[in-house]
Amino acid sequence: MKNRPFSIPLFLLVVFCLAGFRKNDCCAQQPGLLKISFVNTVKGNPLQLDSTIYTNPFSETYTVTKFKYYISNIALAFPDGIFKEIDSYHLVNAADPSSLSFVFTASPNTYQSLLFTIGVDSLKNVSGAQTGPLDPLNDMFWTWNSGYVMAKVEGRSPQSKVVNNKVEYHIGGFSGAHNVLKKLRLDFPAGMILNVGEGKTSEIIIEADLESWWQHPTDIKIAENPVCTTPGELAKKISDNYSKMFSIKNIINH
Amino acid sequence: MKKRIIISLFTGIALFALFVGAGNKPPEPKPTWLEFKIPQGWPKPATDIFAKNRLSEEGFQLGKKLFHDGRLSKDGNFPCASCHQQFGAFASYDHDLSHGYNNTFTTRNAPGLFNLAWMPKFHWDGGVNHIEVQPLSPITAPNEMAENLDSVLRKLRKDTAYPKLFKAAFGSTEINSQRMLKALAQFTGSIVSANSKYDKVQRGEATFTPGELNGYNFFKANCAGCHKEPLFTDYSFRNTGLAASPFLNDQGRMKITGNKADSLKFKVPSLRNVMLTFPYMHDGRFYSLGAVIDHYRTGIITTQPTLDSLLTKRIAISNREKNELIYFLNTLTDTSMTRNPRFAEKTTYFSH
Repeated sequence: MKNRPFSIPLFLLVVFCLAGFRKNDCCAQQPGLLKISFVNTVKGNPLQLDSTIYTNPFSETYTVTKFKYYISNIALAFPDGIFKEIDSYHLVNAADPSSLSFVFTASPNTYQSLLFTIGVDSLKNVSGAQTGPLDPLNDMFWTWNSGYVMAKVEGRSPQSKVVNNKVEYHIGGFSGAHNVLKKLRLDFPAGMILNVGEGKTSEIIIEADLESWWQHPTDIKIAENPVCTTPGELAKKISDNYSKMFSIKNIINH
Repeated sequence: MKKRIIISLFTGIALFALFVGAGNKPPEPKPTWLEFKIPQGWPKPATDIFAKNRLSEEGFQLGKKLFHDGRLSKDGNFPCASCHQQFGAFASYDHDLSHGYNNTFTTRNAPGLFNLAWMPKFHWDGGVNHIEVQPLSPITAPNEMAENLDSVLRKLRKDTAYPKLFKAAFGSTEINSQRMLKALAQFTGSIVSANSKYDKVQRGEATFTPGELNGYNFFKANCAGCHKEPLFTDYSFRNTGLAASPFLNDQGRMKITGNKADSLKFKVPSLRNVMLTFPYMHDGRFYSLGAVIDHYRTGIITTQPTLDSLLTKRIAISNREKNELIYFLNTLTDTSMTRNPRFAEKTTYFSH
């Protein structure tokens, strides 16, 4: 009998060991999946790279050869709190169809808003070599003035008088007065509810309209500013413009 | 009683080990972890560059190989080590500007690479904010190594040795930019210069000559405001009253901040190993320490609006003080670093 107290710890240890190797916790909620898809447009029409000639609000014509932007720190709001995606960094590249949507696990709930940052948060700009979407291989990192290009538009326009009629907006800068990071909160429109259900995949479709880059609040005319490739006042103004480019197009609950 | 407890525990642990072991492959060999030692009496680095890039012998050796590998450049001729030569304290020995791809020049003097673990910002203008992303700049600059990252990685993947070396350092044969940059940081961040005659004097292992001591006292009174001991820099950005070169028209720190108040400001360089890192200043315009000292006593352009407040009256230096200052600066040369076979491409290089 006097041995019993010592066999209990042994018994517990074995039980804990076994418990640790069980595949599923009996009571955990099965997560749902959320797919976020981006549709890039110009004035509501699907963006055609290279081929289509667009006209901006100042009657300047241009083509688009590149359109890329970072979406980070995605969160979903419900009335009592928020769900945050872990390690939430995504690069959307109009030229790469596989980048236009991504899926992550989310806790089942009914959500009312989507939150995210346009760009890469300041911490990741100062934390050394990164990989995945933040790999400098993605051509969205400045080597001479460390930091990410948060959003990028490149193209051609006869109104641009720089070499090869280039239009290049590489918008970055993560600190100080010219910080271009934009935290957005997109409330789901009336009648649209996001239900993330256990073991199901729901989808949010977001439209990104490049037309917003040109104005409100600041007129950006190609003839005057065909190039912006450094952090500063102009980059800040362009980022203020493009902060309005996203809208919720549809929500699909499966 | 105690025996019982111990036996119970051991049985439990043994059972646990069986569970873990069952169905698992034998564990991969782990890298040999290294400890980064901070020299006696030195401040701790503001941020620990090895906190998220744990220093290992394998990582260091991989970084050393990459540092000396010409394949990081477009035509194979410009490894990091082509401009950062160990015998010149990892600066470009005897070059005002360094040579880059296709007969080009760099636009600034290559700095010595040592004590980088303490350096908060890189480049003369401080534009690079982390040791790991620093190599991206020379690798991709058309007047330096002129390569692109994708091409470098493809060359490394084709090599027979590199996949094994990446596995030894990082656990798998995958070669990506993050691993390459972290390995380079393990090598360059490990280069510490803390064993000059000056250091030995501080540790009580040597004594200054009277001339060196006079020079040291003059230094402490007139130079240490920017060249702060023991690193011999405070890492600030200052305008030392040099005329901008008409060819380079380098505005320095202002290029990064966009702030007019930063016009013509450059990072205060360390004076450690200064006898080896000539020519001097951000564009290498002065070939001797005498010329640098002459600038501080008679050459400073005092009308520049962003001139450093410590230099508005220039620095009064007699000829004797100038000589003694140079005697002192001579004591900052650390041959145990510049000849350390551990940092050399081939370990036999300096053995004769």
